[in-house]
Amino acid sequence: MNLIKLGAALFALLVMPAFAAEIGNVIRADGIKVEPFRDAKTIAMLSVGDKVEIVKKNGGWLQIKSPKGKGWVHMLNVRKGDMRKDSGDLGGLLGMASGRAGTGKIVATTGIRGLDEVELQSAKYNETELNLVESYTINRAEAQVFATQGKLVARKFDYLPSPDVSPE
Amino acid sequence: MKAIMKYLSVTVLTLLCSAAWSFDFEEEFKKVLKDGVQKKIEEKSDAATSSALLGLVGISQEEEITIGRQIAGNLLGASALVKDQGLQSYVNNVGRWVASQSERPDLAWHFGVIESSDVNAFAAPGGYIFLTRGLYSLLQNEAELAGVLGHEIGHVIRKHHLKILQQSSLVDLGGKLISKRIGGNDKVQKLIGNGAEIVARSLDKNAEFEADRIAVVLATRAGYDAFALPEVLQQIGHFAKDDGSVALLFKTHPHPDDRLEKLGLVMNDRLEDVKGKTLVARFYRIKP
Repeated sequence: MNLIKLGAALFALLVMPAFAAEIGNVIRADGIKVEPFRDAKTIAMLSVGDKVEIVKKNGGWLQIKSPKGKGWVHMLNVRKGDMRKDSGDLGGLLGMASGRAGTGKIVATTGIRGLDEVELQSAKYNETELNLVESYTINRAEAQVFATQGKLVARKFDYLPSPDVSPE
Repeated sequence: MKAIMKYLSVTVLTLLCSAAWSFDFEEEFKKVLKDGVQKKIEEKSDAATSSALLGLVGISQEEEITIGRQIAGNLLGASALVKDQGLQSYVNNVGRWVASQSERPDLAWHFGVIESSDVNAFAAPGGYIFLTRGLYSLLQNEAELAGVLGHEIGHVIRKHHLKILQQSSLVDLGGKLISKRIGGNDKVQKLIGNGAEIVARSLDKNAEFEADRIAVVLATRAGYDAFALPEVLQQIGHFAKDDGSVALLFKTHPHPDDRLEKLGLVMNDRLEDVKGKTLVARFYRIKP
């Protein structure tokens, strides 16, 4: 079993470089901007289906390279990779065997089990664990101190409307 | 004409009957809830409790917490907390800070990371929120954690689970007519079904999209990068559909690509120039 795991891990390592330069597909037409800002100059237009190479992310923007130019596009107008696997491929099996999940990141390496509907339905109330989680509770003032330590400043921002009811 | 009259009177009779029935269920529902709450909060007066019970989702905060506590206790029976106090405190700090930006800042919010390699997160009424070790291990920074917790906070503040619970429990009560001999916890348990199955139930798709929108707004208000949750969704979208660790998540949620599509429609224009922190350096790395 350990050998299988090791083999799977090695295999995953071997195929890793193929994913190193991340490719994205444009899912909404968007302008390539020279800087990651709304008012930055647009140098070219990307069309739906264009492929881009993703360099890095900055907030809601991705720095990309494409035959049409190099610059910044809205992150949510690009779907990363074409790794949406539907079924029947090796990815899932490999992922489970090695604890990898197709994202190039270790999910869990120890033999921790999942949590499915049957387990949830048959779950029995555990007062000890409940008291334990309640003992970790942070109050509002403590959270404020934590935020200040991280230089997080609260700001006003309205809730977003549903896209289904907003006028196009 | 006679036929129409006959039809009408039958319809009216049916309506009256069903109204009477649903009234009974509601009374029974209230009674069960009230008993459960009074076990926990003795000093609460009958009148206050009862009046808070009126209305469609007229469940008082105390009752909501009683229900949520039972669900949380059951969930923890299925998967215990990760025994890492530093981790749990960290998650509570981040979660509490995000929840403080919501319209329910004074709820006693509780957050926990549970032992499961599955990728999932759960919310129970009253502010009990859990994410799995599997999901936590995918996260790269504090903003991503804030986004994930913000989605669950969204379910709590909009009472999504409470609403489906109320609808289904009323129906259930009609069938079984609760035994009077069982104790407080058992009564609340009757309302929530088996174990923690309520957290495995699918919400309306729009409730999930709404929770995503709330999550990015709460993260923004808290000073974080709003595009951290989309980053997590992109990662989860890369899982194979037949990967067991995302089976329940994919079954109960729209596909991450669809969630990203919906977020893109409202986030691009409104949040493109809003910067926030990711706090990579402070992010608590979970011990493997």
